Amino acid sequence: MKRSFVWFGLMALVLSLSVSWMTGCAKKATLQEGAVVTQEQKAVAQAPAVVAAPDDSAARERALREQALREQALRDQAAREAAEKAAREAAEKAAKEAADRAKREAKEKAAAILRELQIADINFDFDKYNLKPEAQEILKNGAPAYLKYRDYKLVIEGHCDERGTAEYNLALGDKRATEAAKYLSDLGVDKERIKTISYGKEMPLDQGHDEAAWAKNRRAHFVIFPPVK
Amino acid sequence: MHNLKPPAVLALLLLLLFSAGPACGKVYIDIDSPSFQQFPIAVADFKPLQPFSENEKLSLLFSDTLSRDLALTGYFHLLDRKAFLEDPKQAGITSEGIRFEDWTVIGAEYLVKGGFQTDGRELVAEFRLFDVVRGELVVGKRYAGKSGDHNRMVMQFVNEILLVLTGETGLFDTRIAFVRKGAASAEIHTINFDGSDLRRVTNYNALTLSPRWSPDGRFLAFTSYKEGNPDIYLRDLESGSTRKIGFYPGLNLPGSWSRDGKRLLVTLSRDGNQEIYDMNVENGLLLRLTRDFSIDVSPVRSPDERRIAFVSNRSGSPQIYIMDADGANVQRLTYLGNYNTSPAWSPKGKKIAYEGSVNGGFQIFVIDAEGGDPQQLTFKVGDHESPSWSPDGRYLAYSVRGYGRSRIEIMNAGGQGVRVLHEDKETSQSPFWSPHLR
Repeated sequence: MKRSFVWFGLMALVLSLSVSWMTGCAKKATLQEGAVVTQEQKAVAQAPAVVAAPDDSAARERALREQALREQALRDQAAREAAEKAAREAAEKAAKEAADRAKREAKEKAAAILRELQIADINFDFDKYNLKPEAQEILKNGAPAYLKYRDYKLVIEGHCDERGTAEYNLALGDKRATEAAKYLSDLGVDKERIKTISYGKEMPLDQGHDEAAWAKNRRAHFVIFPPVK
Repeated sequence: MHNLKPPAVLALLLLLLFSAGPACGKVYIDIDSPSFQQFPIAVADFKPLQPFSENEKLSLLFSDTLSRDLALTGYFHLLDRKAFLEDPKQAGITSEGIRFEDWTVIGAEYLVKGGFQTDGRELVAEFRLFDVVRGELVVGKRYAGKSGDHNRMVMQFVNEILLVLTGETGLFDTRIAFVRKGAASAEIHTINFDGSDLRRVTNYNALTLSPRWSPDGRFLAFTSYKEGNPDIYLRDLESGSTRKIGFYPGLNLPGSWSRDGKRLLVTLSRDGNQEIYDMNVENGLLLRLTRDFSIDVSPVRSPDERRIAFVSNRSGSPQIYIMDADGANVQRLTYLGNYNTSPAWSPKGKKIAYEGSVNGGFQIFVIDAEGGDPQQLTFKVGDHESPSWSPDGRYLAYSVRGYGRSRIEIMNAGGQGVRVLHEDKETSQSPFWSPHLR
């Protein structure tokens, strides 16, 4: 847009110059009507010679002036173009930075949401799946975030300690996960958003073989699933 | 998969060479009787059938493998070779060449002799079982195969010995499936009854659990997390193909096959709670058998298929219950202890083996299926879990964990004769005994 403006200006300049020159001639012709016509014709006929003639200083000056003007215009154009390029690049850079910032902010926001949604492991007694008061507390504190961010989903894993049968523990882990899911659903989290899976005693958090390790391993673990874009 | 089925190319010819004599059709001793004593048996070194073809290595290989396999059955007391009086150079391998008093005097009741013959890659072996007290041949067999088949030949003859002495063949044509668990995955493996030939069946790099042989030995049902959810799969061991047959939301666990191989008892949590269903393997149709808010899991059919034993915690702790095949008449079977799981119904139908918690550890018990006092079979420190009966009902395989080690063990139904079937650095659990595989 700016560039065409410059061109337009340049064209206007050239045009106005040539017009003033031509009108000058026309005036002369009007003043010396009749007899002067031949002179005018002569002048017209001689015109190429006048331009070419090295000794015609006025014409040469004009030509030089025009040349200078053209060159100046070209220089101006180059300068303008450089300035424009710099400005464009600066704008692009700014836009990219803004986008990066937005992305970073979105990421931070998503991470913040995940933090808000994260529910700590809840623990169970041996061979039990009832939610202890502290587990209920954790779930009560965890549920509101799921009511706020309704497009996030949740997988609840049920785990057991190493004691007892693999199969019975798969059922027990299933119970632990579904008990937690039921509680969250009672707190208003849509059942459809919660999936449960039991790993029985097969994936202990702590590899130890004592009560401290077992207590950690008897757990429900909460995995957040962000919306798929 | 059926390694015990002789490949056609092997052409393991089985020729009945000798008359089984007066022992034919007669069962010598009732091994189920409480007063059963192991048979004292001697195994002589095998001899080349042709002169000047001594092969000491092969000779010992036959007698050692035979001794090991006989000992493995739990029915034989192997006499020490050092006590043998007979001069192996002089003695023959037929009745005429044996001085039976050389054997009775050292306490033997039975004697196994044999010979072999090699020709390039061909291997022929003869086996004879003698009753040294009566001084007669009980059974004799001649097998032809390739070199390297000696193990298979020995197993076949041990089966013959068992058949003639106990009335039933042995278990050398059975395998035990179990779960071998590494750091991040658990895969189904199978192993021979004698602990040889460990094979991996699944390779999913995922948790794969609860192997269950079909009654014809062709299929293994199991649960795998390979696609995320614990779903039931069916592996055709002949073709190697696998089909997903139980994939409801929640838990999908295989339990017990029907004898015709058409139905599988399963545990599903698709209705919000762990319940037992009878699933048609072909079309997936389900018949729900339990309706209870507590855990119902680990169903196993009685051999007559009229009843089902399972685990439920409806009383507050896991206990064994029995119900009719249609889910009616639920009755509690175990009362002693607060943790009784993994029921396994004996093939003869009278007993149910299970694991119970004792002083913080787990031990194997058996209880009469009609109820009564349980009998504890294992007593060592550690967790003894997941008992599985051999198809003849004479042995139990189970897993043992403790002190960071784990293994699969086998014992006889009375709790004696414990031996390690498999142990390595990985965790071995959930053994399940195959039917006869040929």
